[in-house]
Amino acid sequence: MKNKNKIWLIISVLVIFAMTLAACGAPATPAPTQAPVTTEAPAETQAPVATEAPAETQALAPVIDCMGAAAGDQLNVMYQWSGAEEEKINAIFKPFIDACGVQIVAESTRDAAVLDTKAKSTPPDVLFWPTTAPMTLYTAQLKDLGSLGADAGSYASFWQALGTTGGQWLAAPVKADIKSIIWYSPVQFETFGYSVPATFDELDSLVDRMAADGNIPWSMGFGSDAATGWTGSDFIQDLLLTQQGPDYVMGLIDGSIPYDDAGVVEAYQTYVKWAADPKYTVGGAEGTVNTPFLDAIYKVFSDPPEAMMVKQSGFAGGEIVKQYPSLQYGTDFDFFAFPGAKGMQGGADYMMAFSDTPAVKALVTYLTSAYGAQVWAETGFDLSPNKNAVGKYTDAQLSKKAEALANASGFTPDLGDTIPAPFGEAEWKAIIAAVQGEDIPKALAAAAAAQAEALKQ
Amino acid sequence: MKPFSSLNRIFSNIPIHAALILLCLLWIVPTLGLFVTSFRPREDVRTSGWWTVFQPRQVVGETEYDTYCASCHGADGKEISAADLSSPELLVDYPRSNRLLTALRKDIDGKPHLSDPALPSNPNKALDTLSKILDYMRSLSSGGTAKERFTLRNYADALVGYKGTQDYLTDCQQGVASALAKFQCNSSDLLNPEGMGRALLNTIMVAVPATILPILLAAFAAYAFTWMDFKGRQLLFIILVGLQIVPLQMTLVPIARLYAQLGMQSTFYGIWLFHTAFGLPYAIFLMSNFLRGLPRELFESAYIDGANHWISFWNMALPLALPAIAALGIFQFLWLWNDFLVAKIFLTTQPVLTVQITNLIDPRGGNWHILTGAAFLSFIIPMLVFFAFQRYFVRGLTAGAVKG
Repeated sequence: MKNKNKIWLIISVLVIFAMTLAACGAPATPAPTQAPVTTEAPAETQAPVATEAPAETQALAPVIDCMGAAAGDQLNVMYQWSGAEEEKINAIFKPFIDACGVQIVAESTRDAAVLDTKAKSTPPDVLFWPTTAPMTLYTAQLKDLGSLGADAGSYASFWQALGTTGGQWLAAPVKADIKSIIWYSPVQFETFGYSVPATFDELDSLVDRMAADGNIPWSMGFGSDAATGWTGSDFIQDLLLTQQGPDYVMGLIDGSIPYDDAGVVEAYQTYVKWAADPKYTVGGAEGTVNTPFLDAIYKVFSDPPEAMMVKQSGFAGGEIVKQYPSLQYGTDFDFFAFPGAKGMQGGADYMMAFSDTPAVKALVTYLTSAYGAQVWAETGFDLSPNKNAVGKYTDAQLSKKAEALANASGFTPDLGDTIPAPFGEAEWKAIIAAVQGEDIPKALAAAAAAQAEALKQ
Repeated sequence: MKPFSSLNRIFSNIPIHAALILLCLLWIVPTLGLFVTSFRPREDVRTSGWWTVFQPRQVVGETEYDTYCASCHGADGKEISAADLSSPELLVDYPRSNRLLTALRKDIDGKPHLSDPALPSNPNKALDTLSKILDYMRSLSSGGTAKERFTLRNYADALVGYKGTQDYLTDCQQGVASALAKFQCNSSDLLNPEGMGRALLNTIMVAVPATILPILLAAFAAYAFTWMDFKGRQLLFIILVGLQIVPLQMTLVPIARLYAQLGMQSTFYGIWLFHTAFGLPYAIFLMSNFLRGLPRELFESAYIDGANHWISFWNMALPLALPAIAALGIFQFLWLWNDFLVAKIFLTTQPVLTVQITNLIDPRGGNWHILTGAAFLSFIIPMLVFFAFQRYFVRGLTAGAVKG
């Protein structure tokens, strides 16, 4: 019986230990990712930021309207950002927190299932999500941003159109990344005497010249687990923007143009010519399909490089310095806009509001305001689609990206981010099959069927 | 006995042994890879596979360096003091061979930089040669000392939840501002909410009570179902055990709503309750079957001797059921330890190990060196638990579950 007592002693000690930990831990719960910004000087709530305003921002009176939010109000937000990105968004929140004393409780998840559970049980007050899908899923729960005080005038009409459904403006873009760009090494181009192409024909002949020199022009990589194929989708969209234009792409997105149309076939033919040939891309078709997309970026900047160019979104710049910290932007790596593309392809994170408390109104107003755009640009969290951010970037790379976006004659959202999931998966399958040598019209037929199925009303 | 019977037995066992060895290899090789990787420096993890640690590091480019550079710059690169090829400051300007080639193409004092011998005129061949020379210059600048091949820094990064560009210890030493904003650079960082250290505590706080509670309750219930007579016993037992078919995922939304109304979202009490409720049906089933196997006479004689249910539960049923309790305990504990979904939804502000690992991943799938360390930290304790109670494991399983 002695043995028995010992076991129960251990168990009870463990239970007491855990309970004590829980009791001590529980009160500290509310602040997961950032220090709880407690009620600092509530009396100063009127315009405390004005006193802290950096000298160079005098042109804009940095006023944060708290919309009646009281110090200590809790604001639950949900986003996909983590790590360095989360630090950036916290830096952007900071002036707002300092001004209004609102306590932001953030949850970071990349999982749509978690979002769905939360939306149906305890929706966050404000949601930041990289697609507008929640807008169609939770239309009834979301609040019209205009009624919350968001400034619609800060956004170009196409941005507003992307976030509007049923006459309600439910999603405002806060962060954008451009995709119609090609990364290369200026030193490497100089070594071989190549120059940046300005038109698609120049790009085409540059690619052939590189191949003739014994260099591999492209590094391509589809590998991205369940989303394998999206890099191909981005490339083909740029070709569509070059050969057909933005209206054509929007037609594919809303289903008015079938995905096996002659224009799509043409873009696929151009793409497969490059993506399946070991002369034009590292490893030929096998390399294109199997290389992870990050490795495809690294291959252009290794020593000696395996390829000359990689078409990838704006985030590639950050990945290059992370992999090769010694490389310098502007010398060792740089980008140019996809030559001849009539319109810019991009992705954005959208802000949506599930409730209309004063704190929510204050945050929405802040982020859509001119001052919010300025803070966003100076923090350098990619691009801000807010018109007022133009010219406020302090980072050279971001300035150039912002310029490329401003110079674009139009804008189309990333097709893969916008179309319904079954169509998107069928598109990736079609791209992989085409690169692996399947007959293009045959590969496209299945994607077109999925498009018709997904977009029928 | 036939003379060849033992030999026969050996041969007939070969397929089983071969299958066992194959299975072990299938599990051990990736785990070993993970283990080795978790001790490799970040740079190495990025650039080469873990199996390369078994090969000697080789310095390339010595012959190329001797051919092109040694005649002027000397074998150690220090001959021309204005252009010391072994100085780290000089190497900063040449991260890639294409930069070196651009520099070499410029004349020095009106004469080509390299003439005897000149670099290959084909730029690709020149870059090949120069990248090897750069490698050699880097080894010169590090003074010929080999870089460390193994490090514990990945574990430090994982424990405190460091996500920057260098590593936690280096950042703290150099006093990097972004690190100091987040860390104190002392032992309190082990409890940093973004690190594996804190997550380990959280997991223990979820797993220990949520293992003990269902087993304790199930033991009471099983005793009642087996040795106490009451109306509707069979029906209640069938209903309770039948609850096993309720899929956990289906209940997430309603329970999350309920918790929100009760103010129990993101509390340890909430997740204990959830796991206890979902653990009970199977635990009751297993414990009842085990207790039913005990000799009836034992309990009857105890009752005759004047023992009540309370005494016979604590003094007889429970000690005798220890193998079943241990088996259940291991099952429940490992399931809780590995649980991701429930913790992700019901314990959002106190991430457990599994959730914390996903938080450590870079948004685009980087940070492998930290992940390997984090993965090892997360499975040390379940391994210890398993080995400590392993002998109960099989015994408890066969004792309870397979009897009807």
